[in-house]
Formats: sequence, C-alpha cells, structure tokens
Amino acid sequence: MTATGTGTSQRVVTTRSARANAHIGRHAQTIAIAVVLVALLIFFAFSADRFATTGNLLNLLRQIAPTLIVATAMTFVISTAGIDLSVGSTVALSGSLLAIVLQHGWSPTVALIAILALGALIGFVNGWFSSYQNIPPFIVTLAMLSIMRGTALRATEGYSTPISGDLWIVQIGQGRIAGVPVPAILAVVVALVGWLVLTRTPFGRYVIGLGSNGESLRRTGVNTRKVGLTVYMLTGVAAAVAGVLIATRLSSGSSNAGSGFELEVITAVVLGGTSLFGGRASMLGTILGALTLGVIANGLVLLHVSPFYVQIVQGAILLLAIFANSKVWAKFGAIRK
Amino acid sequence: MTDQEPGRVDRVVMRDIRKRYGMVDALRGVTLRVGPGEVVGLVGDNAAGKSTLMKVLAGAVVPDSGEIVFDGRPVAFANPKDARELGIEMVYQDLALCDDIDVAGNLFLGREPRKAGGLMLDVRKMHADARRHLDALNIRIPLTDIPVGGLSGGQRQAVAIARAVTFGPKLLILDEPTAALAVAEVETVLELIKTVSAQGVSVILITHRLQDLFRVCDRLCVMYEGTLRADLDARNTSLERLVSEIVAHDEGEKEGSRR
Ligand SMILES: Nc1ncnc2c1ncn2[C@@H]1O[C@H](COP(=O)(O)OP(=O)(O)OP(=O)(O)O)[C@@H](O)[C@H]1O
Ligand SMILES: [Mg+2]
Repeated sequence: MTATGTGTSQRVVTTRSARANAHIGRHAQTIAIAVVLVALLIFFAFSADRFATTGNLLNLLRQIAPTLIVATAMTFVISTAGIDLSVGSTVALSGSLLAIVLQHGWSPTVALIAILALGALIGFVNGWFSSYQNIPPFIVTLAMLSIMRGTALRATEGYSTPISGDLWIVQIGQGRIAGVPVPAILAVVVALVGWLVLTRTPFGRYVIGLGSNGESLRRTGVNTRKVGLTVYMLTGVAAAVAGVLIATRLSSGSSNAGSGFELEVITAVVLGGTSLFGGRASMLGTILGALTLGVIANGLVLLHVSPFYVQIVQGAILLLAIFANSKVWAKFGAIRK
Repeated sequence: MTDQEPGRVDRVVMRDIRKRYGMVDALRGVTLRVGPGEVVGLVGDNAAGKSTLMKVLAGAVVPDSGEIVFDGRPVAFANPKDARELGIEMVYQDLALCDDIDVAGNLFLGREPRKAGGLMLDVRKMHADARRHLDALNIRIPLTDIPVGGLSGGQRQAVAIARAVTFGPKLLILDEPTAALAVAEVETVLELIKTVSAQGVSVILITHRLQDLFRVCDRLCVMYEGTLRADLDARNTSLERLVSEIVAHDEGEKEGSRR
C-alpha cells in the first residue's frame, strides 16, 4: 500500500498544497485583522496628533485590558461553540460588590478573593446549566445577564460606591510598573497564558474537540461535560477580574459598569477569526481583535468623533466580522463545516 | 482464527441487553459471546440494532438493563473511558473524528503524550508516534499536521481505524470500517483483522459486505429487530443461508428465531 513512481510525486504535491491550504485557511482571518490593525494604526498616527505617543498607547493598553482579559476566556467558550452573554453584568456585580465590601471594612485581600470566587460561582452556574443540563448557553447566560445586573442594581440601589484611594487594591487599576499600567501587564500575561493553554495543553485540545465534534470527543473517553463547565468558569473569573480592574481604576463600583461589554468582548473574539460555530480558534486573533477595537475607540475620541458613534461602529464591525468569518474566509479554508 | 478451546474463559459475554429510545425498542434482550482471538461478524438489516449493541459494549451508550462480563469479571460502563481502560476499542460508524483537529491529534485524542509533569502536550512526540503508527499499519497519509476535515472519506476512516488498533486493544469493534474504503484499503483492513486476531485480540466486525465476512470471521451473528436471530459457524454456513437469515425468510425452521 505504499505509493510508487509518479503517484508519489503527485501525492506529495497535492499534500503540500493541502497543508498550505489548511494553514492559510486557518490563519486567513488572523492575517487580515493584523493588516487592518496596522492600517488603522497608520491612519490614526497621521490624522490624530496625540495618537502615536507612548502615553496614549499605554493608555490604550490600559483601556482594553478588561476586554482582552475576558476575550481570552471567551475564546475558550466560543471555541466549544458556546457563548457567555453574562460577562458584562458580572463586571458590574463584581465591581459593585467589591466597593461595597471594602466600604464595610473588609480587608482588600479577602475582598479580592471573595470577588474572584463569586465570578467562579457565576461561571459554575452558567456551565452547569449549559454543559450538564444541555440548555442552550445563549439562553442560560442571557438569563444570568439579567439576574446579575439586577443583583448589582439591588445591591447598590443604583448609586456608585467610592473606593478609598488609600487601599492598596486601587493599584490594580491605577498602578504602574516601570511606567507600564498594571492592567496592561495583567492583560498581556492572561492572554499569553490563554494562548499557551489553548494551543499546548490537553485541555486546550479538548476545548477545540468539544466545539468541533463533541460526541466524538466523548467517545474517546474525555469528560466533555467537565470541559464545558470549566470554560464558563474561566469567563466568570475573567469577568470578575475585569470588574475589579474597572472599579479600582475609577475608584468606584457602579452597577452600570460593563453595559455592552459582552458585545465588545464577543466582537474582539470573532474579529480575530474564532468561529462562532466552534472548533476553530485563534488566541492571537483575539488579541489583535481586542487591540483593533481599542485603537478604533481611542482614535475616534482623539479625532473628536462623538463617542456615540463608537457603539455604532462596534456593532457594524461585529456584523462584518461574522459575515467575513462564515462567508468569505470559509472559501480559503480547507475545513468543511 | 482457531477454534475456541473448551475451558478458556470468554473475552466478553453480553447478556440480555435491552435499550429503548422513546418509542423505539432498539435492543430487546440481546445475548452475545466472543472468545479471545475470535472474529465475530455481526450482520443484520438496517436499524436491526447492531451499532447500538456495540455502543453499549464500548461504553458510549448505557443500556437500560442487561449484564456484561469481560474476561470473567462483571463490568458496567458509565462512559467510554471505562471501556477503553479495559482494552475495548471501537471504530464508530458515525461521528468518529474531530474535523478541526489534525491527524496526530485525532489519533491520540483522550490520551495525548504529555510533558512538563502532564501539564503540556508533547506535540513533537505526538507527530513522530503518529507517523510510526500509520506507517506500521500501511496507512497512506503523508501529513500528520493537517486537520482531518481536509482528508478524503477513506483517509478519515483509516485514521479512525488506526486510533482503535494502535493502543493494543483486547477487543476491537469495527462498525462498517470498510464503507468508505478503496479496494486495496479494504484488503488492508481484512489483513489487519487476521493479524490482530492471531495475536489474541477479539474482533467484532459489522459490515454489509457479506463476502468479506466469510474471509475473516469465525462466527456470524445475525441481528433482527433488536434481537439476536442466529449464531452461525462461518465455515459451514453458505452465503444463501446468511442472506435468508438477514432478510428473515423461512422463519419457522430457523433456530434462534423470535417468532
Ligand atoms: N440515539 C438514538 N436515539 C433514538 N433512536 C436511536 C438512537 N440510536 C439508535 N436508534 C434507533 O435504534 C434502532 C437501531 O439502530 P442502530 O443504529 O443500532 O441500527 P444498525 O443495525 O446499526 O443499522 P445500520 O445497518 O443502518 O447501521 C434504529 O431504529 C434507530 O432509529
Ligand atoms: Mg449501524
């Protein structure tokens, strides 16, 4: 059964092109978003005076840190063909509760651990209903979106709660290490770890497998439900971290924080080439996607465009990205879906 | 492919296995026995319950009732992992592979070589081992790093077969393994069955290619509407007899007949 003669060379040629096709197809959208990002950087560098300054670029990194952190976790969720719409509400709830418990005199360390545990618990509920009870995650997390936002509003009565600048915890949002904002450092670390886990660990494999063909993965003996549950716990914890970042940066916890945040996060992920249908993921793409959204928001503000347009632009980008994802790039890919 | 010696313990015995799907009675009390190194052909009409019975044996489906004895010990499989740990491997008729994962990744899915204390995948070892295993099985897939979604149907099936035989199973279940294969590849699979059974591996082969059954099987079990209708010796059964058992002609005179 070994190929011989002309058969061999022909086969080698076809497999070379198959490999190239497969790889270009997988990375086409990531390459495209990198090109778009560079184009935007050049455009804003020439049109907005203050854009290409170190100060502004570091500020930009700090602004997108919460998005990037949650988008890293969301890449796992979307790779399993799931979705988590509750992250914005979790941001609001965790930020609000952090401010409230600090006001009640909790030690910042205990408060921080409690808030992260809360995020994990929210993720557990999302994951238990979606993964163990097979309820569509779209519905589960939509319900949780409402519950968490309501809880945040109830807890704060709609007011924002100040966080004292004397506490060390505000350094998480406001501090700098060697001139670089702490949130930016945190976001880069999270994204790198996320990339490593997704591409280099068995868990990352199973996440892709779950989105690609869950039953096939289950039949190889993998506990697919546990994998499904874990990814929602990741977004839960990531959203709690984002809530802490935002609240400590603003020195106040607000129940209105993070509205529309889920949309921004999902846009970043989809923009990077991760398929909403699962099985195909690019953590690098997610990083580029988050950067692109940050550059657009930051650049438009510097150009004195009304901030209301930012939302319109973001929504339009999401729609375009999904369109490109499912219609345009599919033609490049060797992947049948 | 030798006769089962008396006194030797059966590799597996399934007793009175039942499974209902809503209104469909997929299995209504099936009893099946396979000896060590024995090749059993499982045949029957479409929807007779062959795949369901084998999924029960592989742990992918939990039966409503019935017992399974493996190597003399009663076992109960809650999931495919339990069965896999005992050395039961199955090539499924459907949903076999993850299209977005590459050849090596599919081959090792669920038991990837690891490094760094089990935390990380050993990707390099995975590709090297995959190459070795595929070559050892004469499977012609030049690249192990392309997603299986980009392979032909036959190549995908070959990957699924390689996955099942590579890790030294005690019982190999093949559900229509040759359905997508070219002539030469079918021959390879039949040779493979002979080789592994000579090494003591028990094989259950489901196929609608009846002529293949007579070349590799010791026994032929015929299923009919969720029951085992006949258990025949492959060497003294004619093709006509087998066909009539499958399509349920002259029911009256056949032993093991239900009605
Ligand atoms: N997951 C399921 N849900 C509902 N019904 C099922 C399921 N799996 C199998 N069945 C039913 O059980 C019966 C037996 O199916 P099975 O797949 O075991 O047949 P088979 O003998 O393998 O047929 P084929 O030769 O076509 O592969 C069929 O009537 C089928 O519709
Ligand atoms: Mg079948």
